[in-house]
Amino acid sequence: MLKLSDIRKTYKIGPVDVEVLKGVSLEVEKGELLSVMGTSGCGKSTLMNIVGMLDKPSSGTHLLEGREVGNLSDNEISSIRNNKIGFVFQAFYLLPKLTSLENVGVPLIYRGTKKSEIRRRSHEFLKKVGMDDRAHHRPNELSGGQQQRVAIARALAGKPSIILADEPTGALDTQVGKDIMKLFVDLNEEAGITVIIITHDPKIAKQCNRSVRMQDGVIIDD
Amino acid sequence: MVLKSNIEEATKSLYGAKQRTILALFGIIVGIGSVIAMVSIGTIVEAESLRQFKDMGTDILSIQKGYGGGANKTITLKDAVNTPFNCPSIATVAPYIQSGLSTWYSGKKVFGPCMGVTGAFQDLNKIGVKEGRFISDLDAFAYFCVLGDERAAKLSSLGLHEPVGKKLKIGDHIFTVVGVLERLPGGGGMRPHGINDSVLIPIKTATRIVENAEISNIVARMMPGFHNTTAQAQITDYFSNKVRGPEVEVRSAEELIEQMEKQMKLFTLLLGAVGSISLIVGGVGVMNVMLVSVAERRKEIGIRRALGAKRKDIQSQFLVESMILSLVGGFFGICMGVSASYIIAHFSKWQFMISYMAILLGFGVSSAVGVFFGFYPARQASRLDPIAALRSE
Repeated sequence: MLKLSDIRKTYKIGPVDVEVLKGVSLEVEKGELLSVMGTSGCGKSTLMNIVGMLDKPSSGTHLLEGREVGNLSDNEISSIRNNKIGFVFQAFYLLPKLTSLENVGVPLIYRGTKKSEIRRRSHEFLKKVGMDDRAHHRPNELSGGQQQRVAIARALAGKPSIILADEPTGALDTQVGKDIMKLFVDLNEEAGITVIIITHDPKIAKQCNRSVRMQDGVIIDD
Repeated sequence: MVLKSNIEEATKSLYGAKQRTILALFGIIVGIGSVIAMVSIGTIVEAESLRQFKDMGTDILSIQKGYGGGANKTITLKDAVNTPFNCPSIATVAPYIQSGLSTWYSGKKVFGPCMGVTGAFQDLNKIGVKEGRFISDLDAFAYFCVLGDERAAKLSSLGLHEPVGKKLKIGDHIFTVVGVLERLPGGGGMRPHGINDSVLIPIKTATRIVENAEISNIVARMMPGFHNTTAQAQITDYFSNKVRGPEVEVRSAEELIEQMEKQMKLFTLLLGAVGSISLIVGGVGVMNVMLVSVAERRKEIGIRRALGAKRKDIQSQFLVESMILSLVGGFFGICMGVSASYIIAHFSKWQFMISYMAILLGFGVSSAVGVFFGFYPARQASRLDPIAALRSE
């Protein structure tokens, strides 16, 4: 499903080249619930950006569903991001002026889905995360946990191959964080959705059926 | 679909940042408004000055004694009146004599021109008669006169009411008033200057009582189907070769109209250019607002990009926003420009007309402003690095 081999990423910071990823290879099968753990600065966010195709590796191959996606044009990459990848961010990143329902529908707009279909799908996925009763609320009228649920519904609405979650519980208190994790576990078990969770919290890593540890730009434990 | 939701988004965003939107709108409204007002006024003035010509007809020629060779010769009344019989392109002529003879009434002097005219003068110059009748060729050497509207008013203030049939003194002679003319629209055109303020007398009488009476001008109407250059050639030939009169200058209404139209186009263009300066300032305002909008929404752009928006989706989102801004501004600008030109036309006593060209221009220009000044910010938005955009606050 997802295959990274010998991914390297170098940033130019002033005159100095900093290598953030030093040859990362990772294979993810369909239906896995995977966590990537590591301290901050170990390169896990860069790895997530590359997997989410927000960033390009400096070298290495990146196969998604058997297709090399490293050298595609920006348009093609945007389209793959739109169709194959669902993002869940630590800070939720909902659009503040839109209601929950509209937020969930945003990825579908860029596919040219019909308005009525967008509404239907958005309601469907809000229901799935237990937020349909807040469909017409704006993000600032929701609690952190509720916002994250809406964000998860948004990630799901596009029916992606992979959900990428970057510290999804990082901004939530413990109990709410647990509920959100339970949602991921349930989604993975019931719907067989592939989920990659980036975290620094070992308790969260423990709930996943596979855990990868990163340090200093390499995977040290799989 | 993306376009439709972009329009929705743009409207929301503009509505959300009301103060900024209103300021940008203000710039565009003033810009478009001034272009429209200037162009409309240009068109109105053009139409106004052409109307002077056109209500006499475009088949009018003005024949004038030239200043070249044969300046000591004069156009005789007979030669003038015979023009149509010698030039097939000419239908009628109205020679006239101008003099400064003063009019006296009850011992008081009234200044103003005195013209010796023929009967054809009325029809050629489209003069209406308010009371009585016009000068007729049958008046011959009679001491009859007709008063222009303004002249009648002046005499009326000296106590000459209902002047038809009453007597007054022109030069050293007593004349009987036989008619009063309707007021003619002022200034310009092919009509001899100052008819409103004149007293008109039979041309033959004029030759007798005016010292050095000389026909300096002839108004002529062409036969239908002739071109003015043909007529001009025939007239010049007639006066210099056949009757051995003085050299004449022939100007046609058509020529003058053409000249005037050219001038007016230039004038309108100039006014439009002046208006365009404020439009550019307005456009820069739009660009500024759009740049601020892009900077403020970096995070939103990052989120949208992460969710799969293509560069062109982002670009069109901002482009649509600046287009809406400019078109709404354009709409109000057109309203403002049209009302401004209405007010100016009203106070200048010009006939108001809506210049559809100007309105079309307004919409064209405002959407062009939207695209032109929105393009750079929109492009900047679409070129943002998604990761950097996501991280920005």
